[in-house]
Amino acid sequence: MFSSIEDVIEQFGKYNYIASRRIATVVYLANALKKPVLVEGPAGVGKTDLGKVLAEAVGQPLIRLQCYEGLDESKALYEWEYAKQLLYTQILKDKVGEVLHGARGLAQAVERIASEDEVFFSDRFILPRPLLRAIRSEQPCVLLIDEIDKADAEFEAFLLELLSDFQVTVPELGTLKAKHIPLVILTSNNAREMSDALKRRCLHLYIDFPDKEQELRIIKTKIPDVSDNLAEQVVQVIQSLRKLDLKKTPGISESLDWVKALTLLNVKTLDEALVNETLDTIVKYEGDVRKAQEELKDYLEKSRARRGGGAPTPSGGGRSDKDFLN
Amino acid sequence: MEEKLVEFANLLRQNGLRVSVAEVLDAFAATDLAGLAERDIFRAALRATMVKRASEVPIFDELFDLYFSGLGEVIKEAGQGVQDALSMSDEEFQQFLEQMEEMLQKHGKELSELAKALLRNNNGQLEKMLQQAARDARLGNIERTIEEAYFARALARELGLDRLERELEEFREQLDKSEHGARARMEEYLQRRLQALQDIIRRYVRIEREKRDLKTRESDRLQQLSEKSFLYLTPQEIEKMNEAITRLAQRLKNIISVRKRLAKKGRFDIKKTLRTNLVYGGVPFKLRFDRRKKEKPQVVILCDVSDSVRNVSRFMLQFVYSLQDLYSKVRSFIFVAEIGEITEHFRDNDIKDALDIALRGDLINVYAHSNFGYAFRTFVQDYIGAVNKKTTVIVLGDGRNNYNLPHDWCLREIKSRAKQLIWLNPESKNTWGFGDSEMERYGPHCDLVEECRNLNQLYHVIDRLVPR
Repeated sequence: MFSSIEDVIEQFGKYNYIASRRIATVVYLANALKKPVLVEGPAGVGKTDLGKVLAEAVGQPLIRLQCYEGLDESKALYEWEYAKQLLYTQILKDKVGEVLHGARGLAQAVERIASEDEVFFSDRFILPRPLLRAIRSEQPCVLLIDEIDKADAEFEAFLLELLSDFQVTVPELGTLKAKHIPLVILTSNNAREMSDALKRRCLHLYIDFPDKEQELRIIKTKIPDVSDNLAEQVVQVIQSLRKLDLKKTPGISESLDWVKALTLLNVKTLDEALVNETLDTIVKYEGDVRKAQEELKDYLEKSRARRGGGAPTPSGGGRSDKDFLN
Repeated sequence: MEEKLVEFANLLRQNGLRVSVAEVLDAFAATDLAGLAERDIFRAALRATMVKRASEVPIFDELFDLYFSGLGEVIKEAGQGVQDALSMSDEEFQQFLEQMEEMLQKHGKELSELAKALLRNNNGQLEKMLQQAARDARLGNIERTIEEAYFARALARELGLDRLERELEEFREQLDKSEHGARARMEEYLQRRLQALQDIIRRYVRIEREKRDLKTRESDRLQQLSEKSFLYLTPQEIEKMNEAITRLAQRLKNIISVRKRLAKKGRFDIKKTLRTNLVYGGVPFKLRFDRRKKEKPQVVILCDVSDSVRNVSRFMLQFVYSLQDLYSKVRSFIFVAEIGEITEHFRDNDIKDALDIALRGDLINVYAHSNFGYAFRTFVQDYIGAVNKKTTVIVLGDGRNNYNLPHDWCLREIKSRAKQLIWLNPESKNTWGFGDSEMERYGPHCDLVEECRNLNQLYHVIDRLVPR
């Protein structure tokens, strides 16, 4: 799989994921130690992507479990198909009659049915959910448990057996051990603190917003046809916005969205009108928009002054591509 | 290495991080895999296995730097220092060391290991010897700044520094006899080396002391803070307290969200159950329950903001406002003698600005003498509409009425309209009822009278307000 930490960075790079050495170290360790990774960090820094790319990089199928409040065993692990069982009993009524034929007394009838009951509690009627699928998978796989903080505390406790021993207990079938130990990635947005028991079983990775150079590299890798100038400006704007006290700080996914939008509009440099028009791709709340506008006005004025050439004049030498659009 | 990791884990624990034995074992395995060659990777490996909370990362980083950079760096720096003092380039220094090696072969046969390591600029060997000496001198027990000199001496003794001095003196005499070109330089080198070693010892002791020193930090201090009476807080502690309050409020929110979830299931719902189980031919495989509605409490706070209890009022208001989404409605009033509503200021301003407005005296005269009776009467006259059957009324004050009319009938009136009436007193219980304290008179009208002198007590009171 991965031979070294450098190898992780390289493999991830092939799938357009720029992993810092810290991320790569944790991934490498998780793979070598067969330990789950708990990834925390603000929204939109590529936590879920880490799981997806990991699956691609090791060339294994990804099994994803999205957590939400009220998620329980029957949604996460397995469920008996009651309806199907019921249907089978209806259809097989005659057969049931045959089995019961000649039974003397209720006790004997029950006895006979009981001897056959594993027919109804067999693999045929079990509906495997993501966790069971990961455990029973014939080939090694990557299990992504997304936004574990959204699930209830009870569910977290239920995961413990799975995460430490890679086995689950189904009352009717017994304890199922994983054929291959899956790589497990858990992500959390820190909506609530995870229990110590869970944390103890995992390696912990905190992904923060990337620094300027890294974000620039990420944008250029993901959107190769962006112009250097625009990418740089966008990164600068986003980095300055992150310093503000916003309700929802823009993550990498927001900067990518923005760059995509701007490249679609065929923009080469940012100006104030443009920023105002497209601001809602990066800032998601009304109050935040106002704060961002103020901050950006200063920034754009400064950068214009730095360029030395007053406001960009439409009548000036070269018409920009954007003017062609209008 | 494992010994070092265990010690590091202990250090983390002393600083309030929870590191279990299983995690230390993980750290062993991880460092085995990741190797020690690259510092960043080593750090990442330790961080992934030992630190499980984002908030603990800064503490970890600080301790890591302190713990693992320690001695090696110091020795390297010292070596560099000697080189710089002799103003030699790397190449020259290397040549010089070769000459030194020659001299050592010729004259230095009887020198001790320490002297050889020192003169050969053998940092690794030097580090090992220093660590051994530190163990023998029980350097790990150092606690206070004042002990630094003592431990530096102990370390020097274990290292055999006086023997080293003698040896170097003899070695110098040897040099004098032999006519070597670079003699002057060699002598200077010996001198500087010896100084450098003394310097290393001093700095090593200091680093060790700083490591231990860290244990009485953050976590402990916040703990003490929450037990400390509001009356005696310094301005710095008030700053700190703001953090503590936010954290406590967050904790309370978490607890409550769990509580709410537990209370989510209500009575058995026949209609829903039948509908769900139509799929199974009406056999009730799945039971359905209705959701119980939780009623959020309404809170009215009456805060005395006279000098004597100002801090408590500040924190009380702040606490309630950090928890605002737990209540359906919060109205806050402040009083000394006059009473004024401050709810809107809280809505429009930052909590900090609002508190400043409240305590600066824009709203009411905060420099008057406390007059609870007058304040209560004005409240009943002007604002009694704010109180209804769902309202919890909290009065915060010391009940020191300056011998004015107590008007305790006002409290009876408020109580008869409210769901409950709680009085929080920042004074110690022993002093209630003495002097101008009217607690004996006011107390019987309240559902609950509590002493509220520090953050923990405040926390428990607020906890009680939230539905279970």
